[in-house]
Amino acid sequence: MLNPLPSRPALTRTLLASLALAAFPHTAQALGVAAGTAIENTAQVSYTIGTTPVTTPSNTVSVTVAEVLDVVVTLQSATTSVSPGATNQALVYRLTNTGNSSEAFLLTLNSVIGGDEFDPTPATPSIYFDTDGSGTLTPADTPYVAGSNDPLLVQDTFVTLLVINDIPTGLVNGARGFSQLTAQARTGTGAPGTVFAGQGASGTDAVVGTTGADGDATGQYVVADVQLAAVKTATILDPFGGARPVPGARIRYQIVVTPSGTGTATAAGFRDPIPVNTTFVPGSLQLNAVTLTDSSADADAGGYVTTPVPAVQVVLGNLTQASGPQTVVFDVTIN
Amino acid sequence: MKKGKTVIAAAVATLLASSALYAAANTDVAAPKAGQGCISLKTVAETEQEVVNEKGERVKRLAPAAKVVPGSEVVWTVTASNVCAAPAGNVFIDNPVPEHMSYVSNSAMGPGAEIAFSLDGRRFAAPEQLRVRDADGTERAARADEYTHIRWSFRNAIAPGQMALARFRATLK
Repeated sequence: MLNPLPSRPALTRTLLASLALAAFPHTAQALGVAAGTAIENTAQVSYTIGTTPVTTPSNTVSVTVAEVLDVVVTLQSATTSVSPGATNQALVYRLTNTGNSSEAFLLTLNSVIGGDEFDPTPATPSIYFDTDGSGTLTPADTPYVAGSNDPLLVQDTFVTLLVINDIPTGLVNGARGFSQLTAQARTGTGAPGTVFAGQGASGTDAVVGTTGADGDATGQYVVADVQLAAVKTATILDPFGGARPVPGARIRYQIVVTPSGTGTATAAGFRDPIPVNTTFVPGSLQLNAVTLTDSSADADAGGYVTTPVPAVQVVLGNLTQASGPQTVVFDVTIN
Repeated sequence: MKKGKTVIAAAVATLLASSALYAAANTDVAAPKAGQGCISLKTVAETEQEVVNEKGERVKRLAPAAKVVPGSEVVWTVTASNVCAAPAGNVFIDNPVPEHMSYVSNSAMGPGAEIAFSLDGRRFAAPEQLRVRDADGTERAARADEYTHIRWSFRNAIAPGQMALARFRATLK
């Protein structure tokens, strides 16, 4: 278990943002009767004149279902970690026609949005159909050209789209850049209830639905120019010279943290809870083969703490790829 | 005879902000022809629309159905006019709930009529007597959106020159 210490704000924030975005549900809705459908009604009356029973139908009234213009755009990708200067970084979106007829949609991209720390640079072209369904940009994917291949979607169907941005250079770790994809019904957009007379399916009126006939979703890049990989191994030494995990056996844990990438992980830290039913062996904590005292209040880089749960923690400091692997070792005994 | 007319007029006034509009929508009731029935039955579809009247107030009026979209409510009105010289007795009007539509609970009305519903078009009963059995075998009261037919049974004969009215609302699925 490798947990970041609170002193690693950038990477912690990246992780939390990823989780939050991944939790967004897909919001396609069940749909109504298709535009152009004829709704017909004929009543019937039965009665008697004197003693003669009579049954007569009414005229048949036909009402044609008008077209509803509705669209939903959802972000499919989690926050995307990028390095400064990276090119062709993809965000994945889904465009769903939630109206009741076929409709074409105009797509636009805006990467100049407030609330972030940098503006991604839209690539040329910047919107692709995820033709091969891979969720990443590949040579098989078709570029979108406004007015030329606007996605034409039957009601209740969706298309997956890729938004491609380049990342500027000179960005600090943790900086965020937003990119927003908007889709608008080609027939028209506006306040719900707006009518486009005669412009719906089968010559019906088209009516703007609750979405305003446009939808958008915003994706997010986060600069993480250094990655820390951790590998943990355990070795068991039982009291009888074997390797069985019996009570009294001693387990030696070794964690190797390896930085990679171009940047610096500032104030990197490491915390690992002592497993339940085991007890930390005092004096067994080492960093890079140098023994650390158990006190977490002294000058050395690590120690053993008992709250909130028994754990070892080590401050690794500022790490770059040049720092090389950092090896932490500690022992526990099985109760 | 006069009483019947008064009842219908009152009902129309209650339902509609503008009874003039209602009359206008029904002026094309077919004239009788020899050999055809004594009751001329006319169906119209309308939707409730909010308009601003002369006093600047927002009021709801019925207008011929247009721009009906999923979720829209349509008001179906059936008028039965006696165009013969003899009274018509045992009058009942049947109307299936149109395909793609759901009957709106408690929306059926008809002055002087008993209203019953059906789940199959054959057996008609009051709402509380309509039961359905779910796939798991449990029985429950039928929901309004499960009704397939509506029947208005008029207690009194329709006199010559008079008319009866049946109305319900249904939502487009």
